[in-house]
Amino acid sequence: MELENLKHIWATQTTPGTPEPGSEELLALLQKKSRGPVARMRRNLACEGRIILFTYIPTIVFCQIEFQGHLSILSALLFGIGLFFGIYYYRKMQLLNEMQCVSCMVRSNLARQVTTLRKYIRFYLVSGTAIIPLTAFLSYVILHWKFPVRPATGTRVYHLLEPSPWWASPIFWLLLMVPLTIGSYYLNAWYINKLYGRHIKKLQELLREMDEE
Amino acid sequence: MQAPELQEAFIRLMNEHRGILHKVCRLYCFTEIDRQDLFQEIVIQLWRSFPSFRGEAKFSTWLYRIALNTAISDLRRQQRRITPTDPDLLPTELQDIQYNGEKEEQLQVLYNAINRLTEVEKALTMLYLEDKSYQEMEEILGISQNNLRVKMNRIKEKLRKMTKETAYGIGKP
Repeated sequence: MELENLKHIWATQTTPGTPEPGSEELLALLQKKSRGPVARMRRNLACEGRIILFTYIPTIVFCQIEFQGHLSILSALLFGIGLFFGIYYYRKMQLLNEMQCVSCMVRSNLARQVTTLRKYIRFYLVSGTAIIPLTAFLSYVILHWKFPVRPATGTRVYHLLEPSPWWASPIFWLLLMVPLTIGSYYLNAWYINKLYGRHIKKLQELLREMDEE
Repeated sequence: MQAPELQEAFIRLMNEHRGILHKVCRLYCFTEIDRQDLFQEIVIQLWRSFPSFRGEAKFSTWLYRIALNTAISDLRRQQRRITPTDPDLLPTELQDIQYNGEKEEQLQVLYNAINRLTEVEKALTMLYLEDKSYQEMEEILGISQNNLRVKMNRIKEKLRKMTKETAYGIGKP
Protein backbone atom coordinates (compact mmCIF):
# COMPACT_ATOMS: atom_id res chain seq x y z
CA MET A 1 0.00 0.00 0.00
CA GLU A 2 1.53 3.30 -1.06
CA LEU A 3 0.69 6.32 1.07
CA GLU A 4 0.75 8.57 -1.98
CA ASN A 5 -2.15 6.64 -3.55
CA LEU A 6 -4.28 7.02 -0.43
CA LYS A 7 -4.40 10.82 -0.43
CA HIS A 8 -7.62 10.86 -2.44
CA ILE A 9 -9.33 8.30 -0.19
CA TRP A 10 -8.17 10.28 2.84
CA ALA A 11 -9.52 13.54 1.45
CA THR A 12 -12.95 12.15 0.63
CA GLN A 13 -13.50 10.05 3.76
CA THR A 14 -16.62 10.49 5.80
CA THR A 15 -16.74 10.26 9.58
CA PRO A 16 -19.08 7.38 10.36
CA GLY A 17 -20.61 7.33 13.81
CA THR A 18 -19.52 10.87 14.65
CA PRO A 19 -22.48 13.21 14.96
CA GLU A 20 -21.73 16.53 13.29
CA PRO A 21 -22.30 19.32 15.82
CA GLY A 22 -24.36 22.18 14.40
CA SER A 23 -23.62 25.88 14.92
CA GLU A 24 -25.74 25.93 18.11
CA GLU A 25 -23.82 23.00 19.56
CA LEU A 26 -20.52 24.65 18.64
CA LEU A 27 -21.67 27.83 20.39
CA ALA A 28 -22.54 25.79 23.50
CA LEU A 29 -19.07 24.21 23.41
CA LEU A 30 -17.48 27.67 23.66
CA GLN A 31 -19.02 28.15 27.12
CA LYS A 32 -17.54 24.93 28.48
CA LYS A 33 -14.42 24.68 30.62
CA SER A 34 -11.26 23.12 29.31
CA ARG A 35 -10.49 19.62 30.55
CA GLY A 36 -6.89 19.68 29.38
CA PRO A 37 -4.07 18.75 31.79
CA VAL A 38 -2.93 22.33 32.43
CA ALA A 39 -6.49 23.55 33.03
CA ARG A 40 -6.99 20.71 35.49
CA MET A 41 -3.75 21.57 37.31
CA ARG A 42 -4.84 25.22 37.48
CA ARG A 43 -8.23 24.25 38.91
CA ASN A 44 -6.62 21.96 41.51
CA LEU A 45 -4.26 24.75 42.56
CA ALA A 46 -7.14 27.22 42.83
CA CYS A 47 -8.99 24.70 45.01
CA GLU A 48 -5.89 24.29 47.20
CA GLY A 49 -5.65 28.08 47.50
CA ARG A 50 -9.31 28.38 48.53
CA ILE A 51 -8.90 25.68 51.20
CA ILE A 52 -5.89 27.53 52.69
CA LEU A 53 -7.78 30.83 52.57
CA PHE A 54 -10.96 29.46 54.18
CA THR A 55 -9.12 27.66 56.97
CA TYR A 56 -6.33 30.12 57.72
CA ILE A 57 -8.27 33.41 57.79
CA PRO A 58 -10.91 32.32 60.38
CA THR A 59 -8.19 30.62 62.49
CA ILE A 60 -5.99 33.72 62.41
CA VAL A 61 -8.93 35.95 63.35
CA PHE A 62 -10.03 33.53 66.09
CA CYS A 63 -6.53 33.40 67.65
CA GLN A 64 -6.31 37.16 67.48
CA ILE A 65 -9.58 38.05 69.20
CA GLU A 66 -10.25 35.14 71.56
CA PHE A 67 -8.55 34.34 74.91
CA GLN A 68 -7.80 38.03 75.58
CA GLY A 69 -5.16 38.05 72.88
CA HIS A 70 -3.03 35.37 74.58
CA LEU A 71 -2.93 33.38 71.35
CA SER A 72 -2.13 36.34 69.13
CA ILE A 73 1.37 35.00 68.63
CA LEU A 74 -0.13 31.83 67.16
CA SER A 75 -2.05 33.94 64.67
CA ALA A 76 1.26 35.62 63.75
CA LEU A 77 2.76 32.17 63.13
CA LEU A 78 -0.20 31.16 60.98
CA PHE A 79 0.01 34.47 59.14
CA GLY A 80 3.69 33.79 58.39
CA ILE A 81 2.91 30.33 57.03
CA GLY A 82 -0.05 31.77 55.13
CA LEU A 83 2.26 34.32 53.54
CA PHE A 84 4.54 31.48 52.46
CA PHE A 85 1.53 29.77 50.89
CA GLY A 86 0.65 33.03 49.11
CA ILE A 87 4.08 33.13 47.45
CA TYR A 88 3.84 29.39 46.72
CA TYR A 89 0.40 29.80 45.13
CA TYR A 90 1.45 32.83 43.06
CA ARG A 91 4.59 31.15 41.69
CA LYS A 92 2.80 27.93 40.81
CA MET A 93 0.03 29.82 39.01
CA GLN A 94 2.67 31.84 37.15
CA LEU A 95 4.35 28.63 35.98
CA LEU A 96 1.03 27.09 34.95
CA ASN A 97 0.21 30.16 32.88
CA GLU A 98 3.56 29.81 31.10
CA MET A 99 3.20 26.08 30.61
CA GLN A 100 1.60 25.88 27.20
CA CYS A 101 1.27 27.80 24.00
CA VAL A 102 -1.23 25.88 21.90
CA SER A 103 -0.88 28.13 18.87
CA CYS A 104 2.92 27.68 18.78
CA MET A 105 4.67 25.04 16.71
CA VAL A 106 4.19 21.56 18.17
CA ARG A 107 7.88 21.08 18.95
CA SER A 108 8.33 24.41 20.71
CA ASN A 109 5.13 23.85 22.68
CA LEU A 110 6.43 20.46 23.84
CA ALA A 111 9.81 21.97 24.76
CA ARG A 112 8.06 24.72 26.71
CA GLN A 113 5.93 22.18 28.55
CA VAL A 114 8.94 20.08 29.52
CA THR A 115 10.95 23.10 30.75
CA THR A 116 8.10 24.65 32.70
CA LEU A 117 6.93 21.37 34.16
CA ARG A 118 10.48 20.70 35.38
CA LYS A 119 10.55 24.12 37.07
CA TYR A 120 7.09 23.47 38.51
CA ILE A 121 8.17 20.11 39.95
CA ARG A 122 11.39 21.55 41.41
CA PHE A 123 9.48 24.39 43.02
CA TYR A 124 6.84 21.98 44.37
CA LEU A 125 9.57 19.80 45.90
CA VAL A 126 11.59 22.66 47.39
CA SER A 127 8.60 24.51 48.87
CA GLY A 128 6.96 21.29 50.10
CA THR A 129 10.17 20.40 51.92
CA ALA A 130 10.99 23.93 53.14
CA ILE A 131 7.67 24.30 54.98
CA ILE A 132 8.89 21.90 57.72
CA PRO A 133 12.09 23.75 58.80
CA LEU A 134 10.29 27.07 58.31
CA THR A 135 7.48 26.08 60.68
CA ALA A 136 9.96 24.64 63.18
CA PHE A 137 12.09 27.78 63.07
CA LEU A 138 9.11 30.10 63.52
CA SER A 139 7.83 27.97 66.42
CA TYR A 140 11.27 28.07 68.05
CA VAL A 141 11.50 31.87 67.71
CA ILE A 142 7.98 32.37 69.07
CA LEU A 143 8.52 30.06 72.04
CA HIS A 144 11.74 31.83 72.92
CA TRP A 145 10.11 35.19 72.61
CA LYS A 146 7.00 34.31 74.61
CA PHE A 147 8.72 32.19 77.26
CA PRO A 148 12.23 33.54 77.59
CA VAL A 149 14.58 31.34 79.56
CA ARG A 150 15.97 33.35 82.42
CA PRO A 151 19.71 33.17 82.75
CA ALA A 152 20.82 31.25 85.79
CA THR A 153 21.28 33.51 88.75
CA GLY A 154 23.18 32.89 91.94
CA THR A 155 26.68 31.85 92.46
CA ARG A 156 26.18 28.31 93.67
CA VAL A 157 27.01 25.50 91.29
CA TYR A 158 23.50 23.96 91.27
CA HIS A 159 22.10 27.33 90.20
CA LEU A 160 24.46 27.46 87.23
CA LEU A 161 23.64 23.85 86.28
CA GLU A 162 19.92 24.40 86.61
CA PRO A 163 18.55 22.82 83.44
CA SER A 164 16.59 24.96 81.00
CA PRO A 165 13.31 23.47 79.73
CA TRP A 166 13.70 20.78 77.02
CA TRP A 167 11.80 22.77 74.42
CA ALA A 168 14.19 25.72 74.77
CA SER A 169 17.14 23.74 73.59
CA PRO A 170 18.12 24.37 69.94
CA ILE A 171 19.44 20.79 69.83
CA PHE A 172 15.92 19.49 70.43
CA TRP A 173 14.62 21.58 67.53
CA LEU A 174 17.44 20.44 65.29
CA LEU A 175 16.84 16.80 66.20
CA LEU A 176 13.17 17.30 65.41
CA MET A 177 13.73 19.26 62.22
CA VAL A 178 16.37 17.18 60.44
CA PRO A 179 14.54 13.82 60.21
CA LEU A 180 11.24 15.55 59.52
CA THR A 181 12.76 17.58 56.69
CA ILE A 182 14.46 14.53 55.18
CA GLY A 183 11.27 12.50 55.51
CA SER A 184 9.23 15.29 54.00
CA TYR A 185 11.66 15.55 51.07
CA TYR A 186 11.28 11.87 50.20
CA LEU A 187 7.53 11.91 50.72
CA ASN A 188 7.18 14.94 48.46
CA ALA A 189 9.49 13.43 45.84
CA TRP A 190 7.42 10.22 45.81
CA TYR A 191 4.11 12.11 45.60
CA ILE A 192 5.31 14.47 42.86
CA ASN A 193 6.65 11.54 40.87
CA LYS A 194 3.29 9.82 41.26
CA LEU A 195 1.50 12.94 40.04
CA TYR A 196 3.75 14.09 37.20
CA GLY A 197 6.42 11.40 36.69
CA ARG A 198 4.76 9.60 33.79
CA HIS A 199 3.56 12.84 32.25
CA ILE A 200 6.99 14.46 32.07
CA LYS A 201 8.59 11.23 30.89
CA LYS A 202 6.12 10.96 28.02
CA LEU A 203 6.64 14.62 27.07
CA GLN A 204 10.41 14.09 27.04
CA GLU A 205 9.99 11.00 24.87
CA LEU A 206 7.87 12.94 22.39
CA LEU A 207 10.41 15.74 22.26
CA ARG A 208 13.27 13.29 21.79
CA GLU A 209 11.39 11.60 18.98
CA MET A 210 10.82 14.93 17.24
CA ASP A 211 14.51 15.83 17.48
CA GLU A 212 16.09 12.55 16.46
CA GLU A 213 17.09 12.21 12.83
CA MET B 1 -14.31 42.94 16.50
CA GLN B 2 -17.24 42.68 18.96
CA ALA B 3 -17.91 39.43 20.82
CA PRO B 4 -20.99 38.32 18.78
CA GLU B 5 -19.20 39.10 15.50
CA LEU B 6 -16.14 37.24 16.73
CA GLN B 7 -18.28 34.24 17.66
CA GLU B 8 -19.99 34.33 14.29
CA ALA B 9 -16.68 34.48 12.42
CA PHE B 10 -15.33 31.65 14.56
CA ILE B 11 -18.34 29.39 13.99
CA ARG B 12 -18.17 30.05 10.26
CA LEU B 13 -14.50 29.06 10.15
CA MET B 14 -15.18 26.00 12.30
CA ASN B 15 -17.90 24.87 9.93
CA GLU B 16 -15.48 25.24 7.02
CA HIS B 17 -12.67 23.32 8.68
CA ARG B 18 -14.40 20.81 10.94
CA GLY B 19 -13.29 17.94 8.71
CA ILE B 20 -9.71 18.49 9.88
CA LEU B 21 -10.77 18.34 13.53
CA HIS B 22 -12.68 15.10 12.99
CA LYS B 23 -9.66 13.53 11.31
CA VAL B 24 -7.38 14.55 14.21
CA CYS B 25 -9.87 13.13 16.72
CA ARG B 26 -10.20 9.91 14.75
CA LEU B 27 -6.42 9.54 14.60
CA TYR B 28 -5.70 10.19 18.27
CA CYS B 29 -8.68 8.62 20.01
CA PHE B 30 -9.95 5.12 19.96
CA THR B 31 -13.42 5.43 21.41
CA GLU B 32 -16.32 7.66 20.45
CA ILE B 33 -16.46 9.28 23.90
CA ASP B 34 -12.76 10.18 23.79
CA ARG B 35 -13.20 11.51 20.27
CA GLN B 36 -16.03 13.80 21.37
CA ASP B 37 -13.99 14.91 24.39
CA LEU B 38 -11.00 15.75 22.23
CA PHE B 39 -13.19 17.57 19.69
CA GLN B 40 -14.62 19.68 22.51
CA GLU B 41 -11.16 20.39 23.93
CA ILE B 42 -9.78 21.45 20.55
CA VAL B 43 -12.74 23.77 19.92
CA ILE B 44 -12.27 25.37 23.38
CA GLN B 45 -8.55 25.89 22.77
CA LEU B 46 -9.22 27.31 19.31
CA TRP B 47 -11.82 29.71 20.69
CA ARG B 48 -9.46 30.88 23.46
CA SER B 49 -6.67 31.55 20.99
CA PHE B 50 -8.91 32.99 18.28
CA PRO B 51 -8.75 36.65 19.43
CA SER B 52 -4.95 36.49 19.17
CA PHE B 53 -5.00 35.04 15.64
CA ARG B 54 -3.47 37.80 13.53
CA GLY B 55 -3.47 36.04 10.20
CA GLU B 56 0.35 35.91 10.07
CA ALA B 57 0.11 32.21 9.31
CA LYS B 58 -2.59 30.57 7.21
CA PHE B 59 -5.74 29.77 9.16
CA SER B 60 -5.34 26.06 8.45
CA THR B 61 -1.72 26.15 9.73
CA TRP B 62 -2.88 27.81 12.95
CA LEU B 63 -5.72 25.31 13.28
CA TYR B 64 -3.45 22.29 12.74
CA ARG B 65 -1.03 23.60 15.36
CA ILE B 66 -3.74 23.94 17.99
CA ALA B 67 -5.46 20.67 17.11
CA LEU B 68 -2.21 18.66 17.12
CA ASN B 69 -0.86 20.39 20.23
CA THR B 70 -4.07 19.58 22.08
CA ALA B 71 -4.18 15.98 20.86
CA ILE B 72 -0.50 15.23 21.49
CA SER B 73 -0.29 16.95 24.89
CA ASP B 74 -3.31 15.22 26.37
CA LEU B 75 -1.48 12.15 27.54
CA ARG B 76 -4.24 10.96 29.83
CA ARG B 77 -6.51 10.28 26.89
CA GLN B 78 -3.70 8.48 25.10
CA GLN B 79 -3.05 6.28 28.12
CA ARG B 80 -6.68 5.17 27.99
CA ARG B 81 -6.07 4.02 24.43
CA ILE B 82 -6.71 0.37 23.72
CA THR B 83 -3.99 -1.28 21.67
CA PRO B 84 -5.57 -2.56 18.49
CA THR B 85 -4.34 -6.12 18.70
CA ASP B 86 -7.55 -7.80 19.72
CA PRO B 87 -10.23 -7.84 16.99
CA ASP B 88 -12.96 -7.54 19.64
CA LEU B 89 -11.46 -4.27 20.80
CA LEU B 90 -11.46 -2.62 17.40
CA PRO B 91 -13.27 0.70 17.30
CA THR B 92 -16.92 0.08 16.62
CA GLU B 93 -16.96 2.21 13.53
CA LEU B 94 -14.22 0.14 11.95
CA GLN B 95 -16.06 -3.06 12.74
CA ASP B 96 -19.30 -1.66 11.42
CA ILE B 97 -17.94 -0.44 8.13
CA GLN B 98 -19.63 -2.33 5.38
CA TYR B 99 -17.23 -3.72 2.89
CA ASN B 100 -18.97 -2.09 0.02
CA GLY B 101 -15.89 -1.10 -1.81
CA GLU B 102 -12.20 -1.19 -2.14
CA LYS B 103 -12.00 2.40 -0.88
CA GLU B 104 -13.42 1.61 2.55
CA GLU B 105 -11.28 -1.47 2.85
CA GLN B 106 -8.14 0.48 2.06
CA LEU B 107 -9.12 3.23 4.48
CA GLN B 108 -9.67 0.70 7.21
CA VAL B 109 -6.30 -0.92 6.59
CA LEU B 110 -4.71 2.53 6.63
CA TYR B 111 -6.35 3.49 9.96
CA ASN B 112 -5.34 0.16 11.49
CA ALA B 113 -1.77 0.75 10.44
CA ILE B 114 -1.73 4.41 11.57
CA ASN B 115 -3.04 3.35 14.99
CA ARG B 116 0.22 1.47 15.49
CA LEU B 117 2.34 4.57 14.87
CA THR B 118 3.62 6.93 17.57
CA GLU B 119 1.89 10.25 18.28
CA VAL B 120 4.48 12.23 16.31
CA GLU B 121 4.37 9.82 13.37
CA LYS B 122 0.58 10.09 13.31
CA ALA B 123 0.82 13.88 13.02
CA LEU B 124 3.29 13.61 10.15
CA THR B 125 1.22 10.99 8.34
CA MET B 126 -1.89 13.08 8.64
CA LEU B 127 -0.19 16.20 7.25
CA TYR B 128 1.26 14.14 4.42
CA LEU B 129 -2.14 12.70 3.55
CA GLU B 130 -3.60 16.20 3.73
CA ASP B 131 -1.13 17.03 0.96
CA LYS B 132 0.77 19.62 2.99
CA SER B 133 4.15 20.70 1.68
CA TYR B 134 7.25 20.12 3.80
CA GLN B 135 7.40 23.88 4.31
CA GLU B 136 3.90 23.85 5.84
CA MET B 137 4.69 20.77 7.90
CA GLU B 138 7.71 22.61 9.30
CA GLU B 139 5.54 25.62 10.18
CA ILE B 140 3.09 23.38 12.00
CA LEU B 141 5.41 20.92 13.72
CA GLY B 142 8.61 22.93 14.11
CA ILE B 143 10.76 20.09 12.71
CA SER B 144 13.30 20.96 10.01
CA GLN B 145 12.38 19.96 6.46
CA ASN B 146 15.37 17.63 6.13
CA ASN B 147 14.41 15.83 9.31
CA LEU B 148 10.80 15.68 8.11
CA ARG B 149 11.85 14.01 4.87
CA VAL B 150 13.90 11.41 6.73
CA LYS B 151 11.06 10.71 9.13
CA MET B 152 8.47 10.57 6.36
CA ASN B 153 10.50 8.00 4.40
CA ARG B 154 10.78 5.89 7.53
CA ILE B 155 7.03 6.14 8.17
CA LYS B 156 6.18 5.18 4.60
CA GLU B 157 8.40 2.13 4.90
CA LYS B 158 6.88 1.24 8.25
CA LEU B 159 3.33 1.57 6.90
CA ARG B 160 4.23 -0.44 3.82
CA LYS B 161 5.50 -3.26 6.03
CA MET B 162 2.50 -3.08 8.33
CA THR B 163 -0.04 -3.16 5.54
CA LYS B 164 1.83 -6.02 3.87
CA GLU B 165 1.75 -7.93 7.14
CA THR B 166 -1.97 -7.25 7.38
CA ALA B 167 -2.53 -8.38 3.82
CA TYR B 168 -0.75 -11.67 4.54
CA GLY B 169 -2.44 -12.05 7.90
CA ILE B 170 0.74 -11.32 9.90
CA GLY B 171 0.15 -8.92 12.76
CA LYS B 172 -3.39 -8.43 11.53
CA PRO B 173 -5.38 -6.71 14.24
